Formats: sequence, structure tokens, C-alpha cells
Amino acid sequence: MIGFVLRRLLQLAPVLLLASTAIWAMIYAVPGGPIGAIAGDNANPEQIAAATAQFGLDRPVLVQYADWLWNAIRGDFGISIRGRAPVLQLIGERLPATLQLAVAATIVSLVIGIPVAIASALRPGSWLDRVLSGWSALALGVPTFWLGILLILVFAVELRWLPSASAYVPIWENPIGALRNLALPALTLGIYVSGILARFLRASLVSELRADYVRTARSKGLPERQIVGVHILRNALLPFVTIVGLMMANFIGGAVVTEAVFTYPGIGRLLIQAISTRDYPLIQGCIVIILVLYIAINLAVDVLYAYIDPRIDYR
Amino acid sequence: MKKIASRKLSILGRLLASKGSALALIFLVGITLAAIFADFLPLNPVGQKLANALKGPSATNWFGTDELGRDILSRVIFGARTSLVTAGGAVMIAALVGVPIGLVAGFFGGWRDAALMRFVDVLLALPAILFAMAMIAVLGRSQAAALIAVGLTGIPSFARITRAQVLTLRKRDFVTAVEAFGGTATYNMFRTILPNSWSPIFVQVVVLCSVAILLEAALSFLGVGVPPPTPSWGEMLRTGKSYLHEAPYYAVLPGIVLTLTILSFDVLGRALSGLLEGHRDPIIAPKGEGATP
Repeated sequence: MIGFVLRRLLQLAPVLLLASTAIWAMIYAVPGGPIGAIAGDNANPEQIAAATAQFGLDRPVLVQYADWLWNAIRGDFGISIRGRAPVLQLIGERLPATLQLAVAATIVSLVIGIPVAIASALRPGSWLDRVLSGWSALALGVPTFWLGILLILVFAVELRWLPSASAYVPIWENPIGALRNLALPALTLGIYVSGILARFLRASLVSELRADYVRTARSKGLPERQIVGVHILRNALLPFVTIVGLMMANFIGGAVVTEAVFTYPGIGRLLIQAISTRDYPLIQGCIVIILVLYIAINLAVDVLYAYIDPRIDYR
Repeated sequence: MKKIASRKLSILGRLLASKGSALALIFLVGITLAAIFADFLPLNPVGQKLANALKGPSATNWFGTDELGRDILSRVIFGARTSLVTAGGAVMIAALVGVPIGLVAGFFGGWRDAALMRFVDVLLALPAILFAMAMIAVLGRSQAAALIAVGLTGIPSFARITRAQVLTLRKRDFVTAVEAFGGTATYNMFRTILPNSWSPIFVQVVVLCSVAILLEAALSFLGVGVPPPTPSWGEMLRTGKSYLHEAPYYAVLPGIVLTLTILSFDVLGRALSGLLEGHRDPIIAPKGEGATP
């Protein structure tokens, strides 16, 4: 098992290295370079020279890159240009909010997606199946930012049940407050993803239903509930784990839009702020951290998958 | 030639035979025509009349007016132009770069395959929206930047689909025959294999149009897409969100048009995928597997 994890890590390292190099190079190649953002657009030559020296931008490219990479590996992404705080600290403040939203949205998507998939897979082609398939298409097609706006209109503006802007309240400090703030963003993200999950699980359920072991179970006279609930679901859920993992990984960075709709203080909004203020160290830090989490979750999914499916040889 | 034309016609006929895809097609043709001929319609997307600000839908302003008193319907139709041009250009970039990558990777295999597909993996390593935002941070905010950023995120899907298609055709007799007669690799890739790979690529074009429109709107919604005053759907939703109490229609109505456009491309893509390749769901079904009757 440990060997398997190590080998996967070795495979993932080059992707991480290439991607972070690409990010560094992209920012380095910005027309005018980061210096304009640091010193301000109206800086005089002395100020530019001072800022250049302060951030070490007068050194050779490769030295700058090696320096950045070495610091990044140790978790040091430098000082945010606008916030004047260490990049890692700024990200660390936002990360719990993003993770809490990701978990909540995953739960919502599973609660909606699994029953929808089972109901439509049991009677393929029926009116219920068609209605639910249409619903999945709708969940996927409606832009999350518009869905979020509609939810705000209904639940915050009209009914006044929930806040229209969501703050981060740690769930262990104030569960009710946390749920009130999480409900709308988690629903927005969760509905979208439930469409993907339902389509995927439905397809794998339908193909499992045709498997030989299902016929055997039926001919043994097992009740349909047991066949679907125990035999089929267990097999169909295997590939499903991968999708759920991918979705969670996507929530980390991909929740940018939802976080913007609800002004939720996650890492996505930090990144938007960084981009609009041209805060390059913060942009690099955010993207690299999101990338690391993304890859870590993918790795965790691989390991979990190998662990729960005895057919996969992970030695 | 005649045969191909009649095949195309029969596909169009079969598309129109299904209620869903017929509606989608009609909607898309309608909105495209409106976007093309927007200049000749009695529309005024920029005329400000502050006394007229945030008035609800009426006979003169069907979708109401925005915070500067501009007609929202006019801005939605001119916004369609922005969306369709950006999405269309982005899909073209993605196809023009992605398809040759897939062709070369699949045709030659070996180190070329490994190198090109690693490049594609790196593009896939970040969620599309983050990648596009990073690109815009570098290029600066403009319509061209949005177009390029969205286009780059589409490269992997074209590369992968083309590569998969090439791999199934690579060892077929008509390909090896061209090789045996001394046809060059370039000739074989572009004149023998590519013409036989059009269906999945075409389906991908339609599917990616819906993704590109969504992504462009999301970027504008975040305030990093096509810069104002050019009307764009995402930007309208962004501004409309600030007036949810006074003018709920402001964010709702343009959102309906945006959603219908995305859904129409999606419905059409899935219908085409069923007609051209015989499976229902381009997202899930890896050829035949899990496809439903």
C-alpha cells in the first residue's frame, strides 16, 4: 500500500512541477512585468529601482525561478503586494471556509443525485426516467451564478429566511449559524454537481442491472430491494467514488463563481481579488495551493479506490 | 457528393423530428439571426435615460431598463453577439490547436504522443475557470483575452477525442494502403484519417459551444471577461445582482436567455452524438457502454 501511494506521488510530481512552472512563467511574462503592479503605475524611476531590488527582480531569470521554486516547496510564496502579509497566511485564513463549503456541497449533491439516479435507472425509458433525465440536464445547463441569484431572490429577498450574503461561520462553533450561511451556496453548487452524479450513477446502474449476477440473484428469489440496495449499488458505487472525488477537488478551485455570488470568503474570492489588484505573489500562491489540493484529493481517491475494490492490485 | 448532401439533410430532418432538438435548433437560429442583424433592429443598447432607470418590463422596454435607463432587451441581443463571437472564436482556437495535437499524438505514438499528451494533462490540471482567469491576469482584460483564455481550456477535449479516433483508424486497411503506396504522414493524417473523424469532432464543437458560452459568461460575471461598455450576458447578471430588491427582472430575464442558449447547445450536442455516433450521452458513455435504448 505504501509503495502504491509513493509511486502515485512520483507520477504526480512532474505534473505539479510543470504546472507550477507554467504559472510562474506566465506571470513572469506579463507585459510590463510584476514591477508595474508593485510600484504602482505612476512610479518614478527611483521607486521602480527600489521595488525591483526589494523583490529581487534584478537577478537572472533562472535564479529568480529557482529561488521561487525552492521557497514554494517550503511553503513560502512571499509577501502579498497589496495585503502586505505572507501569502500562505492569507490563504490559510480562507482555506477552512472553502473546505467547509466543499463538504457541504458534496453532501447536498449526494443527497439529491443518488436517489434521482436510482429512481431513473430502475425503470429506464419510463416517464419518471425522462423527467429525472431532463432535470439532470437542467441542473447541468443552468449557470451556477444565475441559479445562485434565483435562490437569493426566493429565499433571501422574498421569503427572508436566509442571508443573501454568506459569511464563514465554523460549524463546530455555531452549527445553526453555519448552516444558515452555508445553505444557499451549498445548494447552488450541490444542485449543479448532482446533475453530473445522477447521469453518471444512472449509466453505471443501468449497465449493472444487466449483469449476470443480477439474474442469478433474481432466480434465487432475492427481494428486489436487496438486489438493488446490496448487490447492485455496491458495484455501481465503485466508479462513482472517483467522480465524487473529482467533484470535491473541483469544488476547491471551481467554487470561484459560487463564492462570488454569495460573497463567501473562500480561496476563490481571494484569487479574484488578487487578479483584479494584480497581486502576483498571491495569484501564484493561490493557484499552486489549489493545484496541490486538487492533486492530493485525486491521489486520495486513487488510494481509496484501490482499497475498496479488491480487484485492483495496488502492490 | 450527392450522397453526402442527402445524408446531411437526413440528419437535419431527424434532428427536427425530435421535439427537444427542434426547439433547441430554432432557438439558436433565432438568436444567431438576431445577433447578426442586431444593427437593423429597432434596438438601442447604449442610449442612457437616467429618468427611465430601473423601470420594469413594459410595452416599450420588454425586458425593462437597467440602472442607467438603457433598454435591457437591446443589451441582451447585442450581448448575444458578444457571447456567440467569443464562444465561436474560442471553439475555433480549441479545434485548430487540439485536433492537430490529437492527430499527431495518435498517428505517431511514442515520444510525440507522450510529450503532447503531458502538455494536454497540464492544461487539464487546473479547473477551466481558474486557468482562464490566470490567462486573463497575464493578457489583461479584453474580448480577445477572454476568447483566447476560453479557447485554450477547450484544447484538451479536442486533442483527446481526435487522438482516440485516430487510434481506432490507424491500423485500418485504407490507412495502411495509403502508407504502402508512399503517401506521406501529413497526407495520411489530413486527407485520409481526418475526413473520417469529422463526426466526433463536430459533436465536440457543438458541446464545447455550450461550455464556452458558460465560461465566457462566468468570466464576465466575475468581472474579468469582456470589459464594459460592450454588453455581455455575464456582465448584465453581475450588475443585475446589485439590484435584486429594486429590479429582480434585471438579473432574471437575461439569465433565462443565457440558460436557454447553453441548454440548447447541450441538447443539440447530445442529439447529434446520438445520431452521428449512436450513443446518447457524450459526457458519460464511452462508446456503447452504459448507453440506454
